Amino acid sequence: MPTVQADNLSKTFHVADKQPGMLGTLRHFINRSYRAVQAVRDVSFAIEPGEVVGFLGPNGAGKTTTLKMLTGLIHPTSGSVSVLGQVPFKRRPDLLRQVTLVMGQKQQMIWDLPPMESLRVNAAVYGIPEDEARRRIDELAEMLTISDEMTRPVRKLSLGERMKCELMAALIHHPRVLFLDEPTLGLDVNAQTAVRNFLREYNRQHGASILLTSHYMADITALCDRVVMIHKGGLIYDGRLAGVVNRFAPFREVKLELASDADESVMARYGEVESIQGRVVRLLVNRDGLTATVNRLLSEQDVTDLTVSDPPIEEVIGRVFDDGEPGDTDEYTTGADSV
Amino acid sequence: MKRYFNTLRIFWSASISAEMEYRVNFAMAAFSSVMTLGGTLMMLFLFYRTGYEMGGWPWRDALAVVGVFTFLEGMQATFMAPNRTRVTEHVREGTLDFVLLKPINSQFWLSVRTVSLWGVPNIILGLAIVGFALTTRETPPTLAGLASGLLALGLAVLMLYSLGYLLSTISIWYIKLYNITMAMQALVETGRYPITAYPGAYQAFFTFVLPVAFMTTVPARLMTGRGGTEWLLGAVIVAGLLLALSIGFWRFALRYYTSASS
Amino acid sequence: MTQAFAQSRTGWRRKLGVLFVVHYAEMLQYRVEIALWAVATMLPLIMMGVWAQAGESGLFPFSQVLMLRYFIAVYLVWQVTIVWTIHHFEFLVVTGRLSPMLLHPVDPCVRFILMHLAEQGTRLPFALGIVGLFLFLYPDTLTGGEGGDIWWPGWWNITLALAACYFAFILRFFMQYALCMVAFWHERVTALDAIQYLPHLFLSGMVFPFEVLPEPIREVLLWTPFPYTVWFPASLLVHGEAPVLRGFLTMAGWTVAFFILYRVLWHKGLKHYSAMGA
Repeated sequence: MPTVQADNLSKTFHVADKQPGMLGTLRHFINRSYRAVQAVRDVSFAIEPGEVVGFLGPNGAGKTTTLKMLTGLIHPTSGSVSVLGQVPFKRRPDLLRQVTLVMGQKQQMIWDLPPMESLRVNAAVYGIPEDEARRRIDELAEMLTISDEMTRPVRKLSLGERMKCELMAALIHHPRVLFLDEPTLGLDVNAQTAVRNFLREYNRQHGASILLTSHYMADITALCDRVVMIHKGGLIYDGRLAGVVNRFAPFREVKLELASDADESVMARYGEVESIQGRVVRLLVNRDGLTATVNRLLSEQDVTDLTVSDPPIEEVIGRVFDDGEPGDTDEYTTGADSV
Repeated sequence: MKRYFNTLRIFWSASISAEMEYRVNFAMAAFSSVMTLGGTLMMLFLFYRTGYEMGGWPWRDALAVVGVFTFLEGMQATFMAPNRTRVTEHVREGTLDFVLLKPINSQFWLSVRTVSLWGVPNIILGLAIVGFALTTRETPPTLAGLASGLLALGLAVLMLYSLGYLLSTISIWYIKLYNITMAMQALVETGRYPITAYPGAYQAFFTFVLPVAFMTTVPARLMTGRGGTEWLLGAVIVAGLLLALSIGFWRFALRYYTSASS
Repeated sequence: MTQAFAQSRTGWRRKLGVLFVVHYAEMLQYRVEIALWAVATMLPLIMMGVWAQAGESGLFPFSQVLMLRYFIAVYLVWQVTIVWTIHHFEFLVVTGRLSPMLLHPVDPCVRFILMHLAEQGTRLPFALGIVGLFLFLYPDTLTGGEGGDIWWPGWWNITLALAACYFAFILRFFMQYALCMVAFWHERVTALDAIQYLPHLFLSGMVFPFEVLPEPIREVLLWTPFPYTVWFPASLLVHGEAPVLRGFLTMAGWTVAFFILYRVLWHKGLKHYSAMGA
């Protein structure tokens, strides 16, 4: 049974519209108009026990809304969610003890007290005995490499330290399912690496399932084998990280150096010409016919050097979000790339 | 001068349109003003129905005090409280620097930045009550009395402003101003009734330490022709002192701020 | 079975204990603000001035000393029955900080009540200081003045008054907490709070002693929850002349009513909150 199962999740919000200016203000005061915004539409996926899944999408794609539906903070307009076999919106204590949600920087910590106090509160709330809580706190602190920060008030901690404490507070009850919304946002590179290593370690030790959103591709490539991508509320990809390139960039880049200056009309016979600079040519060649094309190039042209490479994944994903339309949804939701 | 006036217009139209977002709140503020006034009138009724006169004031004169207090409450909520909150925000978020860099007197900017409509019902109700008290009196007020009373009312607004600005200045050092404001407002409640209705210790405190007596009792006293031009002189002195103090204290605080924050 | 029960009971005791201690530590961080609250709630002591003065005139059915005692008692009762959860709740809803609390296996309202108790514990010493100042200024309050009695309502009445105070606190808490639920639909609930504060201010006996009211009005008000949150415990403290059984029963009835209202609105509100994006 999958740990998290989402079927055809949709969520529509009603937001008030207001025109700018004094007249708009007045009209808004007297008669408000609302419009429906579909934040998430027909999103389905499953997460298996122990899996770390990256959840990608540009700002406003519906990631946070989806996470909130998965944790039961939001009731879906239609579709269903099951987490560990339960409906999260019922918020039953035995389910709550096994899941956690991390969102932003200062959600759980008591601002004017040292983090230790907030951790004690959470330990008590989750019914963890005192000595066990102490052991877990030490263990988490060691994994996250923090110690002397524990005695300073939260408001005096740096962003990175606060995020680490936030993670401790969110994980003290050893949840089996983790929903993490931008856990590394705004952190410096060292802290990002520390959080990343910590999550990998936690996943390994506890076999927990993790669904993670991040703006940093490094987080995703370091932690996730599989990614789920949404755009404008719709699912556009669900599959292995490596498959993203295959799926969205069915080309490879072939860089040639010829013995003499290249002719564009000749080169166009082999693939899409990206650029020609004297004797150096960049071609985009369809993946399927790559071997044949390279063979033809080598036999027909006077090639002095040739390299074949994947376009970088950041660029591919960036391109997907630039022109991927939710209309494409059906085409992408099912496919061989699903794990 | 024109520049200051234009700034004011832009500030206020922006804040009024922001306030309109919360239309229900405005209705509730109006409702709560009416109810508070009702409660206060009930209090007066409870005192006067036995034949007791609060501090020797007939009930219409006491009503004038209530009116002045309600008016000042409205002025406070409309013009002063929202700006105080803003000063605190500026200090907390470090945006005070931008204000200090503007080619406009910083105290002016910070004192008039926003208005809130919530106090408007109290302003109107307060003036109406004063009007009612004065016109239904057995002896109508003299022109001289009315003029000096209105002058005293203006001075009362100035006192309230200066006291409030003194408080917002404190936020340069101590950010959580809200509670100081609440504490002051609780004490100012004394002004709802004539100062002579209180025991001696109260009278002394609220005349010489926190000059509430000058804010409500004195204007009402002058308007109703209960005499005492010496009180007007006192009000001029107190208001002048408080205003000078608020300006001086702000300058002092700025010196501290600019030398400490960089 | 019994063992499991005992275990869960100690579990709860520890839970509440830790929460209280931590929140107490939190409140101690805010001691300056809380001390100012003790001043900000001095309204009964201001009204004491007017009524004590009035009591001296002999036109009212009570003496000056009685008024001094009554309003000191009101101030003390108020220190225990102040509820500010609506401001906190609005903050939590507006900033989205309620969401992580909803994912805890303990109902947030348990924490809110404990935070109030912790805050009261921090405020009480300052409030007692203020009472001390007024007793020093008006020693007749304790001694009764010339020919008067010493202020001593007796142990039984003190016990009853204490019970009434905390009962009143719970009643006030759920009254306000039910109102808090409106925050799910309308962000700025503190304006609503100002309205619920009005009957509390004028009908509870906070600004005037109940005895000055005409009899029929008093009888009507005794069916509302308001007098029991201030006048009732204060009267027990002053002289013990209060309808004890009726007081506790009325409070119980209203508490249950507001509790049910809160539960109903809570469930509806969470649905709506979730519809707005939690």
